[in-house]
Amino acid sequence: MLSRTVRRSILDTKFSSSALPPTFLLPSRARYLQSTAQHVETPPQAIDPSQLPFRKLPPPRRAPPTQPESIAMPLILDSTIREMLPLLSTQPSHYVNIHIHGKPYLVTAGDTVRLPFHMPGVVPGDVLRLNRATALGSRDYTLKGTPYIDERLFECRARITGTESEPMRTKEKKKRRNRRINTVKSKLRFTVMTISELKINRLEDLEKVEQNAT
Amino acid sequence: MSSYFRITLQRSGIGLTKRTQGVLKALGLRHRMATVFYPVTPEVAGQIMKVKELVSVQEVAKPLSKEELKAERRPDPGFYLESAARR
Repeated sequence: MLSRTVRRSILDTKFSSSALPPTFLLPSRARYLQSTAQHVETPPQAIDPSQLPFRKLPPPRRAPPTQPESIAMPLILDSTIREMLPLLSTQPSHYVNIHIHGKPYLVTAGDTVRLPFHMPGVVPGDVLRLNRATALGSRDYTLKGTPYIDERLFECRARITGTESEPMRTKEKKKRRNRRINTVKSKLRFTVMTISELKINRLEDLEKVEQNAT
Repeated sequence: MSSYFRITLQRSGIGLTKRTQGVLKALGLRHRMATVFYPVTPEVAGQIMKVKELVSVQEVAKPLSKEELKAERRPDPGFYLESAARR
């Protein structure tokens, strides 16, 4: 009896504010602290802000390719091109087989082309220079590329006029032995452009550019 | 100077003997038009000889990564932005 009162009085003097000792002195916590001496937190300034969930950057916008550097290789004009290119350019109207992302489009100046995809990063009014052509011709003459015509021989420009969109399509998806039907909607967008210019460069101009380069 | 074999499987190994298919598997050619690079050694040359009817081989200076191989197949865009409108 006496011993209990003595013990209580000692405890009361130690932890007068509360009945229990602080948590770091509880037997379980104390053992944990003693056993793991390396339990040290890194200071908060070491946290990388990019790893925080609320500072996520938006995905990079896809932009159309910009003007490439001028071709260093000199333009080699063989005798047939020298002979026939003036004849081709004097004829009234021309067509060109333009390749965009590897797909051919047979166009002439003034044509409207609805591309089968939405070109990212362009707005109406942008002027694109089309520089891959496999064939360039008129009524009587055709210049064929191997596989592409040298892009310095001609100038073909297209102006972006807008985007078209198809009517909304819905497709019902159903699995066997299951009554659930999922309806998938799709509405694709397509870039529309007009071929604003198709010009065959004159031989004199090409030679002048060559001489300036050399 | 070290060089590499660029091996492309042109014809499938289906229907051939287990031994031939094993050589393709050892070369890492799982499907047609798959391309692998190996340094030029007598061992690899012997493996190629076993499947020479199925593959096309080129000698190149350095191996290409998977991304570079993909970029090689991708066609040119064929256009560039000459003058941009006001955004």
